[in-house]
Amino acid sequence: MRSCLNDKFSRTPSRGIADLLIRGSARFGLLFILLVLWIVFSSLSPGFLSRFNLGSMFRSVAVDVVVGCAQMVVLATGGMNLSVGAIGVCAVMSVGYFLQVLNLPLPIAILATLGVGGLLGWLNGVAIAKTGVNSFVVTLASASLFSGGMLILTKGVPLNALPPALGSFGRMSFGPVPALALVTIAIGVVLHIAFFHTTLGRQILAAGANARAAEMSGIRVNRIVVVAHSLSGMLAAAAALMLTARLGAAMPSVAGDDWVLPSFLAPVIGGTALSGGEVSVVGAILGALLVATIRSGLLILQIGDFWLQLFLGVFLLAAIMFERYRATLMLRQQVRRL
Amino acid sequence: MRYSIARDTLATAFGFAVAFLPAQSFASGNKIALVPGGPHPYFAGWVQAEQDAAKDFGISSAEYKVPTEWKLQAQTELLESLAAQGVNAFGFFPGDPVGINSTLEEFKSNNIPAIAIAGCTQDPTDAEFCFATDVYQAAYMGTKALIQSMGGKGAIVHLAGLLVDPNTNLREKAVEKAVSETNGAVTLLQTIGDTDDQEKGDQKVNALLASKKDQVGGIIATAYISSVVATKALRNLGDKRIKLVGIDDDKIVLDGIHDGFVAGTVAQNPYGQAYVGTYSLDLLASGCSVKPGAPWITTPQTAHFIDSGTVLVTLSNIDAYKEELKALSHKMQKTFKDTYLACK
Repeated sequence: MRSCLNDKFSRTPSRGIADLLIRGSARFGLLFILLVLWIVFSSLSPGFLSRFNLGSMFRSVAVDVVVGCAQMVVLATGGMNLSVGAIGVCAVMSVGYFLQVLNLPLPIAILATLGVGGLLGWLNGVAIAKTGVNSFVVTLASASLFSGGMLILTKGVPLNALPPALGSFGRMSFGPVPALALVTIAIGVVLHIAFFHTTLGRQILAAGANARAAEMSGIRVNRIVVVAHSLSGMLAAAAALMLTARLGAAMPSVAGDDWVLPSFLAPVIGGTALSGGEVSVVGAILGALLVATIRSGLLILQIGDFWLQLFLGVFLLAAIMFERYRATLMLRQQVRRL
Repeated sequence: MRYSIARDTLATAFGFAVAFLPAQSFASGNKIALVPGGPHPYFAGWVQAEQDAAKDFGISSAEYKVPTEWKLQAQTELLESLAAQGVNAFGFFPGDPVGINSTLEEFKSNNIPAIAIAGCTQDPTDAEFCFATDVYQAAYMGTKALIQSMGGKGAIVHLAGLLVDPNTNLREKAVEKAVSETNGAVTLLQTIGDTDDQEKGDQKVNALLASKKDQVGGIIATAYISSVVATKALRNLGDKRIKLVGIDDDKIVLDGIHDGFVAGTVAQNPYGQAYVGTYSLDLLASGCSVKPGAPWITTPQTAHFIDSGTVLVTLSNIDAYKEELKALSHKMQKTFKDTYLACK
């Protein structure tokens, strides 16, 4: 059967780019849309491809991708984490405290901050696993708890006397590619390997696809939920570290609610299923790039200030609908061939 | 024959065109942009001022661009996008006094001068200087005027602005200082923050008046929208007992002064800030630099502060204050270069 199918597919001639678009994966569709947008924006405004603009865009995308990954690991289990931003701002102020007040060496402060993020995520996971309450409700409550606790402890005062090395790293770039983007790529590679080449990753996806079946297969789903939330917290902390490096200061006004929407946008556009069981690290990267490209392109085309949000929504909707249409066409073609 | 007539006609037409069509030449090819922290009526004064400065000083391009929301990321994205489009000098109200500094550092390394207008960045900073209202002095002056209008005794409430505004903390301290100088005759009943937002301000001011109207003798509003909201609330209440001193010169507040509901308002100088700011940016982008020995004012935020001036508007000068501010702006522009900049 498999060889017949293979023969059938191999005998079907390609009808060029249209056929390639339909047959390709969702990620390929996203990449195609991205390339088209880049060509359009750069031809309408050469400043789009300037080193300044690309560097700015990649720096912003670098943080957004990691924020998206922090949400993605929880989406994989079929849950969600509305406290990604709150954990982020706690991590930002933690690293500021470790570096400026406690004068810890940078590597220790980074590890400690990741630990803080992991701990806050672990608390979420334990609360969800022990109580059985939906992750939406638990993380909505914990978001307020974490943010409120941070404000009480820090009194909203920013810390801007951090070691210069952190800020220098945040501004470093290799041509148009910022150092922060390389950190994101490294995190992406690790996550991809974890999800697709380790037992734990497979267990997370299995628990998200069908928690009951996974439990009956011997996977301790509650433990998986705790692990996923801990990992989410650590990734949120990683994004917070990158943002602090970018700004050169620890500020209580960053992250927070600003991260909630981007945390869903990148992975969902990239093909991560909201219902769980399916993730795509490459898709999350492309999704974040798509949003940043549209935003940057509209700015550089000098679309009127208050029209920006409207056009951003229109472009995003068009991109997603094109991708869904393409996926539907592909499915129909496959069914016809059978 | 036909060809030579056509050629001659074209040549003549071209000659007339060159002679009589307005040929626009610019003294400076700089591209300047003014970028506020987000949408706010205060910055409306920047638009005309920038256009006037571009016309008066022959600047080829002077834009006013607003971030879509009061978020640092929205502002930095806009600034970087404008830089990518060739803008080579920026005047901005910082979306965050600390967070904006990394963007300024990037601009500095690309030889793009930037100045803070109407609000300052926190030192150490790569902003050349801060050109803004001495908000501490303005709030202090406004509170003193309020206390005088109350007869020197009673309880006052301070309606303060956005908590993320770098000026809010300074204004709070100024009000407290003015109150402390009355040796207990005047007390500060409450400071209500985040009233510089239409919806929140409305709720908070009306809740205050509903619960404590009889205890309050005066209101000092150090934010634009809270001044407007407080004026409307007092007018709706029909209460002229409670004295109000606001900030800025919205028509509603000025009408309140006319009708006796508002004792006065401290008019800032957004026009002057943008006019002189654009002028100085053009000079900085053309190679001038800040003069180390200039008469900078040191504030809690920065060591390079220039006061853009304020006027206390009351019934006595309500018709003349705008001319006062414009005269002040032009006076500052005339002496600005020699006082604050070193040009080759």
